[in-house]
Amino acid sequence: MTPRKQPPPESPSDIRRRTHVILSFWLIILFLGLPIWWWTTTIYRARLPLQEMLEWADGKACRPVFPLRISIQANSLQEQEAQNLLRLTQHALDDLNDFSGHHLRLQLSPPSSDAKQTHDSGSALTIRLIPGETTTATLDPLEPVLDITYPPNAIPLPTSSSSTLATYVAAQLRSTFAEEQATISYLLSTNAIPSEHRPQGLSPEAAESLSKRTTRSLKYAPTYHLTFSLFTSGPLPSSWDIEAAIDEYMKPVLDVLSPIHNFTIDTQVQLYATPGVQNQVLNKEDLSSFINAAEWPLSPSIGGAPTINFIVFVGNQTIAAASQSPEDASGSESSAAHSWLIPQWGTVYLLSLPLDVTHLSVASLKQPLLTFTSHLLSLTGTPQSGSLPLRLSTLARIRSADLLLRASSTLGSLARLALALPSISIPRSVADGVAKTMAHLRLACETLGGAEGLAHARIAEAEAERAFFEKSMVGQLYFPDEHKIAVYLPLLGPVAVPLVLGLINELKAWSKRRREMAKRGEEKKRE
Amino acid sequence: MRQLFSLIFLSLLSLSVSSVHPSSSSSDYHEQLVLRPLPLSALLASFNFRSNTTFSEFEARNFRLFPRSLAQILQHAGTRELHLRFSLGRWDAESWGARPWDGAREGGTGVELWAWLEADTDEEADHKWLILTNALSGLFCASLNFIDATRTTRPVMSFQPEGDHPNSTVTNMHLLYGVLPHEVVCTENLTPFLKLLPCKGKAGIATLLDGHKLFDASWQSMAIDIRPICPSGGECVLQIEQTIDMVLDIERSKRPRDNPIPRPPPGHELPCDTSKPYHSHDTCFPADYKANQDWSLSQVFGKTIKGTCPLMDPTNPPVCLQIPDSRTVYISDGVVEKKNPDRNSRCFDIPPTADFEMVVTPPSDDDAAQTSPGAVGVLQPETPLLYAERSFTGHGQERGGVQTILRNPSPDREVEFVYMETLPWFMRIYLHTMEARIAGHNAAHNASLIQQVSYRPALDRARGTQLEVRMRVPAASTVFLTYDFEKSILRYTEYPPDANRGFDVAAAVITILNSNADKDAAGGRSAVYTLRTTSLLCSLPTPDFSMPYNVIIFTSTAIALAFGGMFNIIVRRFVAADEGPEVGLGALTGRLKGRLNGLLERLRRRTGNK
Repeated sequence: MTPRKQPPPESPSDIRRRTHVILSFWLIILFLGLPIWWWTTTIYRARLPLQEMLEWADGKACRPVFPLRISIQANSLQEQEAQNLLRLTQHALDDLNDFSGHHLRLQLSPPSSDAKQTHDSGSALTIRLIPGETTTATLDPLEPVLDITYPPNAIPLPTSSSSTLATYVAAQLRSTFAEEQATISYLLSTNAIPSEHRPQGLSPEAAESLSKRTTRSLKYAPTYHLTFSLFTSGPLPSSWDIEAAIDEYMKPVLDVLSPIHNFTIDTQVQLYATPGVQNQVLNKEDLSSFINAAEWPLSPSIGGAPTINFIVFVGNQTIAAASQSPEDASGSESSAAHSWLIPQWGTVYLLSLPLDVTHLSVASLKQPLLTFTSHLLSLTGTPQSGSLPLRLSTLARIRSADLLLRASSTLGSLARLALALPSISIPRSVADGVAKTMAHLRLACETLGGAEGLAHARIAEAEAERAFFEKSMVGQLYFPDEHKIAVYLPLLGPVAVPLVLGLINELKAWSKRRREMAKRGEEKKRE
Repeated sequence: MRQLFSLIFLSLLSLSVSSVHPSSSSSDYHEQLVLRPLPLSALLASFNFRSNTTFSEFEARNFRLFPRSLAQILQHAGTRELHLRFSLGRWDAESWGARPWDGAREGGTGVELWAWLEADTDEEADHKWLILTNALSGLFCASLNFIDATRTTRPVMSFQPEGDHPNSTVTNMHLLYGVLPHEVVCTENLTPFLKLLPCKGKAGIATLLDGHKLFDASWQSMAIDIRPICPSGGECVLQIEQTIDMVLDIERSKRPRDNPIPRPPPGHELPCDTSKPYHSHDTCFPADYKANQDWSLSQVFGKTIKGTCPLMDPTNPPVCLQIPDSRTVYISDGVVEKKNPDRNSRCFDIPPTADFEMVVTPPSDDDAAQTSPGAVGVLQPETPLLYAERSFTGHGQERGGVQTILRNPSPDREVEFVYMETLPWFMRIYLHTMEARIAGHNAAHNASLIQQVSYRPALDRARGTQLEVRMRVPAASTVFLTYDFEKSILRYTEYPPDANRGFDVAAAVITILNSNADKDAAGGRSAVYTLRTTSLLCSLPTPDFSMPYNVIIFTSTAIALAFGGMFNIIVRRFVAADEGPEVGLGALTGRLKGRLNGLLERLRRRTGNK
């Protein structure tokens, strides 16, 4: 091999220029190209208070407490005696109660001259103590008032530390609110609420019946849409007096429910409707497929409100006795044999008629409508025991607790989603929704138990749902990485190769120059 | 002859109109099937279902005859009057004559929707229209939700409300019109249509309706019309009218369903034209007009009518047949045949639970002698007021033109009409090129043909062109209406999946105006006849859809080449060929050898150490 000719040494200015060229290319790429690329392709993620959201979901942010004020009205007692009785009853109540979230607080209402004084709106229940022969307790059917009569000797002495009357009153109160307490504690237990707020004494059977009842009831909505449908398997009957029948049998209950829910009503008649099951005797399995969803026009109403369907089906089919659930059978015998409730959807009532009836009168609609009314109460989640006004105020409290928990758990899901998917975009509207939800949750938590609390919880729940189901969050989830490679690689690959090679060569040359400089320096020193 | 026909039609119309009056609650529902054999072995079947609901019941939402699902939509979208059409095929006016219902119950190919919405502003009307189209889309399983702003127009002259609207609401009623010419109408649209009927498809004439036959027809149109009717002195009612018109090819329908392949009939069954001089036992000139004149309901529709709908007004016969009295028709037991005094139609009263079958016998030879060939034994079709044909002209991928041939067959009457086009935005029309000329005349005659033009130009990607032309065609003459347009190029994502098929252009709507009536209060003139041209298929320049990736790779390569070259030039040092490092195959192998030797040496040294 002949030694190759070496090129003349390069002038230092050339070397310096080359270094500057390579450096300037890389500087442009690093300080102009990368930021622009980053800025144009980055996904907008609004800042979410993730920690706070998770706290709400875990129940750490709000401890749901329902302070219930109960006023005692004892017109015939002395002030001193009444205070004493109140103190003793409160003691008895506190001994009985093991659930701190649901607290009954007694107070003495000023004695009024009018014996028929109306109930004080600030308190959940009024106890009217009336002197009588024996100890009895009756709930007023129209007002949240508990009438308790007592024999004259039952008044506790100021010195005594216990009293049978006080214990009796406490026990009565406890049984009156037992269902509400159980429902709320069930709701709390199904959500991730720390166990110290939870009562322990919920039996499995009670929990099961509560869970059945909660799955049955519809999600809370301010407005429900009621659809009454008359389906007949043949051509008759083709008309009914539904409007008059609703006015007569259902309107009173709707009016009572009106502070919590609004109702809109429509009715329809459908001939030649074939049910999904043609058997003469319907078994339990048949009941679920009886609704012929493909052919029956039972489309939900448009406009947001959930629809509750009440169907009168004219036909000669009957329900097999074995298929009735014990809960239904415990109701009136005749209605259980003809109707069944479909959870979160509505009710079907089988009505058998003579063949030649062309018109359904108000009288023949009485039984179906009474069934519908009782099923409406359970579909809206109204408790089963107690007087109607008491059940409604309980319903409001249960609903606000339910909404509060729902909104909190939605917030938690959103926070977990944001953490789990780093490539999902979070638009500003979601952040706004979250902020609004938390503000209303805080307000609802403060005013829990009242009408205001329900309103705040409702807004919070709606905002949380809207934030969670934001449409624009879904789109960029499915932008595939292969697509990015297909776009970037053809351009960046060929451009990057000379740049990177140029940099490597330059670094090599630089280190070589340094080594030579060092060697030369040593040689100089040696000299 | 023609006057006689119009008389029949008028009497039928008055019959039906009289039943509209809500004089008794039992006559709130009305259904009728009119069968009319057409020349060339076609059969027109017109199904009509109509029911009235009083406004008070409608507002209270107690629905008996009115479908609840539709009523909810109407109430939610503030709709005062609604017209919905699903159509398929082409009405052959040359052989079948005038259209049924004077064209008022048909639409162009695809789906057509127009409605009067109550709204204070245009924006509110648009919003309600969006609600309406989306809701109807779900109800009828049609792509009505694709009627967006680009497919929505607000016609000025073509449509007038059919119902009675109080003056207070007329001022804030907005007419919106949308059309989807690409939509293929099929069974999934018929099923919800039948669900709206009080008796479904289970009783009455609706039992004949079957997707297999309906969508196999040469032409079919399903219509839903909802309008308020205020009879003088009575309560206002909301009327819903559902109409299905279909033209069946009798020969095609008579094929057995399990063996639908057509086969030639054996020689002895061939109907021959015996008047030909060469006719003998072994030669035959086929007389196709005589074929397939005999049919029965079960042959043509595949089934018979099952009783009557019990809600139906009993005073109206459910089935009518328009055929000369001389033809013999066999019917089921218990059915009463009533011949109308005009000697050209008969109606049948059906018992409520009996099946109804009808057999029409072939015409006798006397009939054949009386009438003209081609229409033996059927009623002479009525001549329509106007024939219209529309087609594309122009060539290439950029410039196109539209030509509509409008022919007035009447020897003595001028026709005045509104011609309406709804064009997609990517057809940019040149309005100055629009001209109308009479065939065979010089330019002097053409000046007064176009009387008024209402034009709303398109905005790219925002709205389509709306063109309405009020014009006239003199008696016994043919007018050519032409204009040019330019095809624009769409964006990559705007092409449909089947881009090379072309883009459907909606049918033109021609509304013939009443010539002797004065203008009514709203300033419009009532329509006497409506016809629609066929829809057109416009092909746009279609790119190759792998293009973006090709473009990316091509430009990237170009940039990489240019950049690499430039970068190397300014960074590399240039030396003489013998000064630089050795290049070529020899140098490469030498370098590889050196590396290999080095490696081997190292290995050997390592094993030696061990």
